[in-house]
Amino acid sequence: MAVYLDCNATTPVEPSVAALAARFLEKDFGNPASPIHDHGLFARAAVEHARAQVAKVVAARPDEVIFTSGATEANNLALLGLAEAARREGRCHVITTAVEHKAVLEPCEELQRLGFELTVLPVAADGRFDPKQLAAALRPDTALVSTMQVNNETGVSQPLAETAEILSGHGAWWHVDAAQGFGKELAPLQNPRIDLIAVSGHKIHGPKGIGALVARKRDGFLPPLRPLMFGGGQEQGLRPGTLPTPLIAGFGEAAKLALRDHEQRREACRTFRAEVLRVFADLGARRNGDERHTLPHVLNVSLPGIPSDRAIHALKGTIALSSTSACTSHTRTPSHVLAAMGIPPELAECSLRLSWCHLTPAVDWNRVTEILRRLRP
Amino acid sequence: MNALFQDLETATLEQFNERELPQWLADPLLEVARNPEKYGDREYLVEMLLAQVREYDVYADTGCCKWAYDHEDLKRTLGWLKEGE
Repeated sequence: MAVYLDCNATTPVEPSVAALAARFLEKDFGNPASPIHDHGLFARAAVEHARAQVAKVVAARPDEVIFTSGATEANNLALLGLAEAARREGRCHVITTAVEHKAVLEPCEELQRLGFELTVLPVAADGRFDPKQLAAALRPDTALVSTMQVNNETGVSQPLAETAEILSGHGAWWHVDAAQGFGKELAPLQNPRIDLIAVSGHKIHGPKGIGALVARKRDGFLPPLRPLMFGGGQEQGLRPGTLPTPLIAGFGEAAKLALRDHEQRREACRTFRAEVLRVFADLGARRNGDERHTLPHVLNVSLPGIPSDRAIHALKGTIALSSTSACTSHTRTPSHVLAAMGIPPELAECSLRLSWCHLTPAVDWNRVTEILRRLRP
Repeated sequence: MNALFQDLETATLEQFNERELPQWLADPLLEVARNPEKYGDREYLVEMLLAQVREYDVYADTGCCKWAYDHEDLKRTLGWLKEGE
């Protein structure tokens, strides 16, 4: 079996996460919305425990965590859920960046269809947007600013601290898609200026199908979100539906481990990275994204002359990697992220994304090098 | 593992000595905290208990919404923990 190097698509589940999820599937199967007997009470206690574990990672309050099916739903709830309040206040301008995930770009396009004006900030060759351009784009009627924490294709961390300073004197709601950075880069998300944070369970060794929108209170009030679905009062009325206790408990456990083992995990990723960088430098790879701002578990490179699909196919018995984000890799459309960074199509078509974690076993890099050298034109 | 039980002891004593955790709850909590060999196989519940002790507030259930854990929560979690005995 090839060594899995696609941790930005999804991560292996931690054994203690799987064990806890199994417990709430098999034995403690109560419904947290039925706290009229011990089964329901225990499920409710597990959900509230997990809520606090998730909140702690971003220094939020437990009652600011709204469980969703994942980061995509959380992004949609944040962006579309604020539309009504924004319109009511006469603020119809939204700002985002060119390198966002489709789970942000498409809801933004929907806002545009609803009559909002959208400004899309460009990024530089390093993969980051310029906070000065954000400052210039802000208007009195800007309702919402949506910026990601870490890019899914390049692993490049965006300038959130500078963004917080720029937004400190402005009333716009600030949403951060943190699907790739939650639990992996702690300080930026703990900034109290961020109003809304979308997070995912399966990117931090938790189960798939669970995520959350962290909605920070301002002056004691949640952002004026409207639900996208109706049919129950769960999650403060913002996300109706029976809560999936096994997934939520597993997500909580994964969040706990991400916080507790943060430094050890980063160190393991740094050690692995040093080897990956050496191998691809020897192969003459071109880096996509600035090393100084890239998280230690991701590398995006282009090998000129070797199309991505040929490399991935040739390597499939040795390492499992990807060329772009998991959500679009099946469509074969050119990466909008690399295009936004000014990377020419001929290099973008040769891009590879390698992403690993603390659980990644050793790779036979000599074999990888040998295979890739053979593909050279 | 032992660190978890030590944390539970510290949190319980702090809540008992400096805040309003009653003795009838502090006693069974300390019994758990001081017997890691007995409760070590129920780590998840001990973690839950620790979180609840840290966020304990006698007035948790007053006002418009519940914002902390009260004696009923602690008593219930202790009950689940002891079920495994």
